[in-house]
Amino acid sequence: MKCRILILVLALVALPLTSKGQAATDELVSKCALTAGDNTAYLKDFRVQLPKATADAAAPVYKANMYLMKNMKYRFSLCNSAEFKGELIVTIYDADKELISSFNKSTGKQYSSIDFFCNKTGLYTLWFAFSNGEQGSGVSVVSMIK
Amino acid sequence: MKFDSIKHFFYICVLTPNLMTGKIARLALLFLLISVCSCKVNNRKQAELLFPVIDSATIAESEKLSKEAIADIVQNVASPVEIAAMLQSLSVPFSADYLGSTKGVEQLSTNFQKATMLGIYGADLGYLNIYEKTGNSIEVVSSIKQLADGLRVGQFFDYETIKRLSLNKTDIDSLLYLSVSSYNKIDEYLRTNDRGSLSALMISGVWLEGQYIATQVVTSFPEKKLKDRIGEQKIILNDLLMLLRPYKGTSPEYSNLYALMEQMSNLYRDVKVTYRIAEPQTLEKDDRLVLIQKEESVVEMSDDELRKIVGLTMEIRNKLISGE
Repeated sequence: MKCRILILVLALVALPLTSKGQAATDELVSKCALTAGDNTAYLKDFRVQLPKATADAAAPVYKANMYLMKNMKYRFSLCNSAEFKGELIVTIYDADKELISSFNKSTGKQYSSIDFFCNKTGLYTLWFAFSNGEQGSGVSVVSMIK
Repeated sequence: MKFDSIKHFFYICVLTPNLMTGKIARLALLFLLISVCSCKVNNRKQAELLFPVIDSATIAESEKLSKEAIADIVQNVASPVEIAAMLQSLSVPFSADYLGSTKGVEQLSTNFQKATMLGIYGADLGYLNIYEKTGNSIEVVSSIKQLADGLRVGQFFDYETIKRLSLNKTDIDSLLYLSVSSYNKIDEYLRTNDRGSLSALMISGVWLEGQYIATQVVTSFPEKKLKDRIGEQKIILNDLLMLLRPYKGTSPEYSNLYALMEQMSNLYRDVKVTYRIAEPQTLEKDDRLVLIQKEESVVEMSDDELRKIVGLTMEIRNKLISGE
């Protein structure tokens, strides 16, 4: 009985914290889906939270896989939580070949959106990181351009 | 690790109260207290636990597939919205004949049936929404709600809002967003709560219905783009089989479905997907970065192979719908 009460207390303490975080991210996803534009349809979102890079290690990266289909046009919209400095960057890989990144290393310009006109059906890997290895929280919404 | 420990403790405490005696209870409690205390002692560590695992491995290393990685890959396999949008772009008219019947949903008794039908109706809903036939979708939406409740995932399907948006017909974008994101949430919840077998069934249902609609349409509209899309499913089908494989021995229903999907995979054996290599073109337009991929996937599939795939797709899908 005591055990059940302990679990209940732990659950009651933890639950509001979890739901608040979830609600905030849901809101960011909805906002981000809206930025994709009128002629798009939402397909998928990726919620990314990463810590600040440590001095002698590579910047943290979150990887995800997604099938993209030939003859489809996809839009990757990137949105950031105002709580952190880091701005979300997506890099799209086909196997081990980098196709495109929302951060242009040569100019230093960062884009909040990438359109990908897909001509090859397959599994692509998305690498998410935050600018300058900063701590960050953001979402990437993948939409189909109609 | 800590979460797993607490979850394990929860099972011991709540689900198996008779076992909570003597040493087991004291050990479990001690383990929990150590977990909780270690969180307090090292706040920095706790903060790190909130984040996804940092992965700085190469792609090749990340492709060594764990069960979780397979699920992660396959979660994006089936997008009925994309198939429907393709049909619409080819000016294929809408047909309600392709949709699964919603009669008898309340009589579905097993989780196997509920999960596969949840997938099938999800694909139908995507098809209806893309064609803006939202008035026709109320029955499908109600059936989805019923099935989701039956699988205890009804909380992720915003029935009232989806129903209202469907009836109003004014905000298709929001309707599409809510419908698709509800399915994504259901899938994620099932996978992260040790109910991956149901997620695999739902994903298979979505994929099969998308494949069914595409193969039905191609018999009347033999467009090359559509044939190619059906042929390209060879790539995805292998991953679907990987997803279903761990559960194939769990019930006769699962075993039958797996055998049929293997048959489908065999039909695809001679379908060839090759690639024409070319460098992509990158440009900037309206402050957006645009990538135009020039590399191309090319499908070679004979009419006979297509005919067999059309036939088997119909057979599997109809078996699932009739509950055979």
